[in-house]
Formats: sequence, C-alpha cells, structure tokens
Amino acid sequence: MRGTGLDIHFEGAGVSFGTRVALAPLTLGISGKRIGVIGLNGSGKTTFARLINGLTKPTVGRVTVNGRDTADEKTAAADVGFIFQSPQNQIIMPIVRDDIAFGLKRRGFTKAEIEAKVEGVLARFGAEALAGRRAHELSGGELQVAALCSVLATGPGILILDEPTNQLDLKNRALVEGIIAGLAESAIVITHDLELIAGFERVLLFHEGRLAADAPATEAIARYREIAL
Amino acid sequence: MQSLYVEGNSAMHRLSPRVKLLSLAIFSIVLFITGNLVLLSLAVLAAAILYRMVGLPIGAALRRLRPIFLTIAVVALFNLLFNPWQQALVPPLRLTALMLLAAAVTATTSITAFIDEVTALARPLERTGRVRADDIGLALGLVLRFVPEIVDRYQAIREAHRARGLKVRPASLLAPLIILTLKDADNIAAAIDARGIRRHGS
Repeated sequence: MRGTGLDIHFEGAGVSFGTRVALAPLTLGISGKRIGVIGLNGSGKTTFARLINGLTKPTVGRVTVNGRDTADEKTAAADVGFIFQSPQNQIIMPIVRDDIAFGLKRRGFTKAEIEAKVEGVLARFGAEALAGRRAHELSGGELQVAALCSVLATGPGILILDEPTNQLDLKNRALVEGIIAGLAESAIVITHDLELIAGFERVLLFHEGRLAADAPATEAIARYREIAL
Repeated sequence: MQSLYVEGNSAMHRLSPRVKLLSLAIFSIVLFITGNLVLLSLAVLAAAILYRMVGLPIGAALRRLRPIFLTIAVVALFNLLFNPWQQALVPPLRLTALMLLAAAVTATTSITAFIDEVTALARPLERTGRVRADDIGLALGLVLRFVPEIVDRYQAIREAHRARGLKVRPASLLAPLIILTLKDADNIAAAIDARGIRRHGS
C-alpha cells in the first residue's frame, strides 16, 4: 500500500458548471479510517468524491491527498482507489483475473509480480474461485468483490466507495458491509444506506452543494432526516 | 463486460495473435486489389471454413453476424440497382469474406491478447512522438469489449418498446441507443481514469 492512511485537504476547493454550483468552495481536512458521506441526490456527494480521486478538477481552490495535488493526474489515481456505483462499468476485461491484471500491467509490473498480486488480492477476500469467472456471469456482490480486487491490487492507501450496497440483496449487502468493515485501507463511503455508516465516527452531510454537517454518524444522520423529511 | 471471444482450442485459437492480425490485414488488402469473382468466391469459402472452425453452433455463429449481413445486403442491393450483376457482386463478396475472417479472428483472440498485440505492433509509431501505443491498444480493445454491450442495449430498448406497446422503429431505437452508448462510454472512461490505466505514466 502506498498511502499510510487518510490525509486529505480541501483548500477552498469547489466546482461550478457555468452558473450552476455543483460544490461550493470547501475548506476541510479529512483523516481517520472510515468516513461516511450522505445527502440527497444531487447534493454534491459524488462531486466531492471525484475531486479526491482527481476525476473532477476543482474550478476554484485545490485538493491534496497525502500532500499531493489531485490535479496531478499521474499521482491521484495511484493514491486513491474508486469503486463506482455500477461495478459492471468498472470492469474492463471479461475475465476477473484479466481485469485485475490489466491495471497492474499498465503500471509496468513484471508477469511474475502481476500473478503474485492477482493471487494475493483474491486470497485476501477469499475470492480465489472468481479468478477464471466471466464478469457478466457474476452476482451483484461478486461483481463488487471483483471491482474491489481490481482497484486494491494496485495498492491505493485510500478507497472511495460510491453507493457500494446499491441494488444488492440482503446477502450481498452483508458481504459488502463485512468487507468494508475489514478493509485495512482508509475508506470514504458515499451512501444512502444509513445502516452501513451507522457506526462511523465521522460522517459528512451534503445539502445543495454545501457541507451541511460534519459530525459523528448519529448526529449527522439525525440532521439528514431533518433536511430530507 | 461480455466478450466476443469464444473459448476453445481450435487451430485458429492456437495461432499467435500477431499472425492472425497481420493475416487479416494482408487478406483485406488482397481482397480490395482483386475484382475476380472466382477468387473472391474462394476467399469467402476459405473465410467461412475458418469461421466454422471457431466452434460456435451455426445458429449462434450466424446471429453474431446478422447486423453486418444486413449492411452487406443493403450494399449489394444498391450495387445491383446501378451496376451490371458481375460488377455488383464484387463489393458484397469482398465484405462477406472480410467479415467472416474478422469474426474468426475476434472469436479466437482474447481481448487481453488483442490489446497486447496491437500495443506491440503500434510501439514503433511512438517514435513519431504523436501517439502512445498503449492508448491505441486500449482503444481498439475497448471497441471489441463494447460490441456485445451495444447489442445488449439494443435488445433492452426493443423490449422496453414492446413492454409499453410501442411499435419498434429504427428512429425511436437509434436515439436512445446512441445516448446510452455514449453514457456508457463516459462511465468506462471515468473508470479507466480512476484506475490510473490511461493517465498513468503519461
């Protein structure tokens, strides 16, 4: 793992598209093992997350991860892994093993190193049986595990999970919840599944492109209910 | 993330991806040099035999090619309208032979092998300083990866029309198909960037 933990700084960072403000300028430091992000649809949660990975560039201010500006494309993706809402869009190769290897190959690892890393990451999640499976045949939970393996194989210190339990049945939801709880990496979890982040020490609530609360889960969720209901 | 690749151990599968891709390139050039109907018919026959060796059941093998067959049929029709039949047969025979051999190559070459080979073949172009071989390999590999997805999207839109009792018309199919395909392409591009696959080392 490259990163030793979560050290993210928003320095007046915001995003606007013309006159529409997706995320108002935000100054915030984030550290800790588990951070929850909640809010209504269109509240700025995903923009916030994409800024951390460098997928979206701030139109004002800057964002740093472990001291490095995320506007630098070469480093942003190496530090921060991103699991998208639809893992099927994240998996590029048809076979799970090939997909995990793909990111490693593009980073210049040798064949032996790639094989070791692929085996290692699959073993970490007890997912060795997925190695030769075709991605389009996997269940929702298995797809999430495959996407996680592909992202974690390259060793990011921070993982962003965007709606990781979206559309999962109870069994697969429990599987993903268990995996998140056991992750060694720091994780930022964006979700509408309030149970998933109920135990988090810190939860950020976004509303209409602004940070509306930065508090322990119980407090942030209560504030969210006031806003939403 | 389905694939056009068909698992198997046929002679075509065992052939090196480089030999297959270069043969396909040479075959296509030769096809467009000659206008001899006998030679073109033989080329169709040879390509059909190679495609048959892939190991797909005939029904599935033909289903994969249906959209291209339709396009070739349109080309043939227009040629027959405006040219003598001997001349009109040349373009459809060329395209059919090319389609069959290309289908045989894609069905027997995994996307990973395809990307690796195209990347290796494009590597000398990097000396011009204008292109990156990795990006060329990735772009062409993604085209192959996307084809079954687009077909799935097409089927889903057809079913949505039927479920709502709407007549399936090309105009009402194409617009959502193009929009959804572009949206998917955006999502895939974001995923590639998020994993540092494209931008790493640039």
